[in-house]
Amino acid sequence: MAAQVQASRNRVIPGFGLTMGYTLTYLSLIALIPLSTILLKTAGMGWVRFFATVASPRVLAAYRLTILASIAGATINSIFGLGVAWSLVRYEFPGKGILDAIVDIPFALPTSVAGITLTTLYAQNGWIGRLLAPLGLKVSYTPLGVIVALVFIGLPFVVRTVQPVLQDIEVELEEAAATLGATRLQTFNKVLLPALRPALITGFTLAFARAIGEYGSVVFISGNMPMRTEVVPLLIMTKLEQFDYQGATAIALVMLALSFALLLTINILQRNSLRHAVG
Amino acid sequence: MRSDEVELTSVMHGEGWGGAETPAKAVARATADPVWARRLILGAAIGFMTLFVLLPLAAVFTQALRNGVRVYLAAVTSAEARSAIRLTLTVAAIAVPLNVIFGLSSAWAITRFDFRGKHLLSALIDLPFAVSPVISGMIYVLLFGAQGWFGGWLADRNLKIIFATPGIVLATTFVTFPFVARELIPLMESVGIEEELAALTLGANGWQTFFRVTLPNVKWGLLYGIVICNARAMGDFGAVSVVSGHIRGLTNTLPLYVEILYNDYDFAAAFAVASLLSLLAVATLIAKRMLGGRSGHGVVDAELPVKEAA
Amino acid sequence: MSIEVRSVDKRFGSFVALDDVSLSIPSGELVALLGPSGSGKTTLLRIIAGLETPDRGSVFLNNEEATTRSVRERGVGFVFQHYALFRHMTVFENVAFGLRVRPRADRPAESEIQRRVMELLELVQLDWTAKRYPSQLSGGQRQRIALARALAVQPKVLLLDEPFGALDAKVREELRRWLRRLHQELHLTGVFVTHDQEEALEVATQVAVLNEGKIEQAGSPDDLYHRPATPFVSSFLSSVNLFHGRVEDGRVYVHETPLLVTPEKTQSTAAVVHVRPHGIDVQLKANGKPGIAATIKHINAAGPRAKVEMLTDWGDPILVEMDHQRLKELSLSVDVKVFLTPRDESVFVYDGA
Repeated sequence: MAAQVQASRNRVIPGFGLTMGYTLTYLSLIALIPLSTILLKTAGMGWVRFFATVASPRVLAAYRLTILASIAGATINSIFGLGVAWSLVRYEFPGKGILDAIVDIPFALPTSVAGITLTTLYAQNGWIGRLLAPLGLKVSYTPLGVIVALVFIGLPFVVRTVQPVLQDIEVELEEAAATLGATRLQTFNKVLLPALRPALITGFTLAFARAIGEYGSVVFISGNMPMRTEVVPLLIMTKLEQFDYQGATAIALVMLALSFALLLTINILQRNSLRHAVG
Repeated sequence: MRSDEVELTSVMHGEGWGGAETPAKAVARATADPVWARRLILGAAIGFMTLFVLLPLAAVFTQALRNGVRVYLAAVTSAEARSAIRLTLTVAAIAVPLNVIFGLSSAWAITRFDFRGKHLLSALIDLPFAVSPVISGMIYVLLFGAQGWFGGWLADRNLKIIFATPGIVLATTFVTFPFVARELIPLMESVGIEEELAALTLGANGWQTFFRVTLPNVKWGLLYGIVICNARAMGDFGAVSVVSGHIRGLTNTLPLYVEILYNDYDFAAAFAVASLLSLLAVATLIAKRMLGGRSGHGVVDAELPVKEAA
Repeated sequence: MSIEVRSVDKRFGSFVALDDVSLSIPSGELVALLGPSGSGKTTLLRIIAGLETPDRGSVFLNNEEATTRSVRERGVGFVFQHYALFRHMTVFENVAFGLRVRPRADRPAESEIQRRVMELLELVQLDWTAKRYPSQLSGGQRQRIALARALAVQPKVLLLDEPFGALDAKVREELRRWLRRLHQELHLTGVFVTHDQEEALEVATQVAVLNEGKIEQAGSPDDLYHRPATPFVSSFLSSVNLFHGRVEDGRVYVHETPLLVTPEKTQSTAAVVHVRPHGIDVQLKANGKPGIAATIKHINAAGPRAKVEMLTDWGDPILVEMDHQRLKELSLSVDVKVFLTPRDESVFVYDGA
């Protein structure tokens, strides 16, 4: 009965067969079949070799660096991104429109451009590197450089996730808190932050997910030193250049699993936040 | 004016809140931040953005021009540069239309029909966001590379996909296919189905309904999606890097060409080419802003995998 | 064109929208599908149009089976509740749409299209809006354009989904009269959905009352109003005072008070009695006839008739509508005791559970 009901609705508007057919075919050809090669390739490895590969010291070091640097980058973005979103929503200042527009630059800029630029900026004689050298801070070819790159590419995610939520918060909530005697800081901590928390978490997760897979911005500034500044995407690339396809695939499978888990989390987070939208 | 009114006005004009205030703003002051906090937050925000975005942008152009304009022009008009530009444009010219058709098709399927697995399909469209660019390229190498599934088959027929243009087109198409769809799906959802039903009752067939009723209603959102899709198609680096083989003059897109020049220590040229891509990025942002208002965007960016309530 | 619906079932998930519904609409009638929300009336309309397909049962248009015909082939004009005007087309283009999408062979010449569209716009008295866009029109104007658009393709039947639901009371009244006149002029078969019983009784030539997916009663407005077949129809078409009583020896007793009604329909001894507020005689003293004793609790005289809330001697509330004149004649005020005799035509007796 249920199938009948559904089918009947699909008969009124034309094009079901055509659009579904094209969509599914396209998806399969472009995405699903190519992605399945990873599964099949690693399946052919057997558990022993698989674990030997992904648990080798170099690979583990790469995972550790990738995840830690991504967390660091996403955290920095969450803190400063909140500040940027706050400024854009609540303050008036000259150049606000420009500031708003350039938030999207890390999206629109090709990653290799970002990569060479950041490397040049933070090199020993670069505009910023020059200022940090006397402080003993070396950014290029260190994990710090990786973090800088990951902050750059994750920047828009937090800002753009928090901005609309901040805009929609009713001013009455803050006014109520004020009438009840709360200071601005208290209002922020007890009223605003809880309302922003879902968006912040979503933004953090988005930035994190982007960061763990990032290649172009990182490859120039990190120096790719195994065990020290090699992130997982770089490691995969190296393995590919050496024609170690199985190794590359095994490492990639773990990355994919992590990414899918993150995407699922983001999905659930967003569906939850829509459901609990406070009136 | 009564005396208390005068007093209120003078209070409003004082304290440097920036000129005349309306009574509405006076009320909002109960929720305004203290001045020191304001300065701190705004200062930090501007500083952060300057450090991470403005400086790099400025650096691209200064580095590009550091050896003078003539060197700059030579770099962007060299034979290799031109071939890179050509390839980039070709790839975009193929990938974007393909993805537009996919976007329209999937949005129609998802928003006009009910079927089991609708959510799964919608989630599948987000796949490329979960896949690192390197992996996005790798899967095509695994399929079509010399040792891939079809490697032997292709070699027999002297067909090259990996390390040739078709591979680049494929990888770019994969990485960019969600953009148009994700723009159209919420838009077509909110525009609703009634006008199309009305067209059907008036005797229009499917294609007439699509071209005369649906398409005009989504045209700004579609353009917005195309702009974003195109920016990513022209700017992709990681995925294309894996499949292209970096063969000079043949399989280099602009982003790859930047890398090659940089690795050759030809910094001025590298940044010169990078400046072209930066101009493209800025143009994309301008287009986004102009189209954003009309496609119902306001400030929120479309690249984020934000889902509508089902 | 005549319409017939036979034994139609329709469910959405676990919700039963229509349960074995059959209805016959002769050619030329203007039929109202009347009922509360969720009664299935809109679903029925959409099934007739082909915008939904029934799970069971069939639809006949002009005695031909049309159940499987697509909406395009049915030749129905449909006016949507929220008009569904094409927002990016001018009024003229909206009305011309149905003519423009005809296959080449059937398509009239451009000059003919011009003529027909302007003719229709004049019919709905909106020819001056031809170059405007829907967003520039008021609700009532949009409604009339939606109607003109549906009429442009010369449909054999006109279907309207709550056509006046979204409009102000005054505009609603005007459009109701206008629709009735249009129907008389064009002699089209028409079906419209409404939840407003006044609208149905005023505009339609036949009314079908739906409740929870079933047709409770179908007939002329007169029939339904004066001879409601079920308690639902009775209470939906008019406000009623509801009492529980019993039938004995051919008489109806409400709390030991016999009412002068010879019940025809009831067989059981328990009965549900509907008394309409506006057919009750009010006296200050019992006058020998059986009646209900009551005390006045509240008088609302701000309206065409006075609404007087009373409490019967046995404790049930009862609403009586009376002329202002009568109110003054009897010098009625709060706490005054009165004696009520409902007239026969205001009392409806149904089987009680």
